[in-house]
Amino acid sequence: MLLAYKLSYASELVTATAIEANEFPQLAQEMQVWAVPRIVVDGEPRWDGAVPEPEFLRRVLAS
Amino acid sequence: MALLRAEEETKVREWFAELEHPVELLVAIGPEETPLAGAGDVDFGAEIVRVCEGLAELGERLTCRVEDEPDGFPRFPAVSIRPDGRDAGVRYDGLPWGYELASLVGAIVEAGRAESSLRPDSLATLAELDRNLALDVFVTPT
Repeated sequence: MLLAYKLSYASELVTATAIEANEFPQLAQEMQVWAVPRIVVDGEPRWDGAVPEPEFLRRVLAS
Repeated sequence: MALLRAEEETKVREWFAELEHPVELLVAIGPEETPLAGAGDVDFGAEIVRVCEGLAELGERLTCRVEDEPDGFPRFPAVSIRPDGRDAGVRYDGLPWGYELASLVGAIVEAGRAESSLRPDSLATLAELDRNLALDVFVTPT
């Protein structure tokens, strides 16, 4: 989660929101959250799990 | 119940003492979605206020403000972590408890830094970004 926050603080073009899946079950279901962390980019579920910073950035920008 | 264990509180105070910018926690409370079964009788709105006000007591440059249904918050409760009181697009929707309290603390520390803690090559790559990006990360407290 922290990596997404860091990207947002470093770029005015990026927003980052953590969403507590248990408190927002309807949205979690829409985003097919079966494992956490689940990463959603521009409203599209992309991947699950933590990855190193270079890989995180590569995946985000490739989305 | 204390927010942090004594040794954790000492460490967090040290981190918050090093904030180079003031950081504001804007807590948004309002109508809440019905959580999954098992959440018990937790008053999420009251609890997030307790968490954020409790953190603000640990650092002179950290403040907490509570608003009822402010603009820009699609879900409640939530907290926006704002360097110099500015909306930088960083938010936690829900109650940051358990392991996720560390994410909130980490966001505060990053918001208070003069320079990003991202790697230089990441910053260089990010500087080439030419479109808006919305990152949502679904988490659970355990």
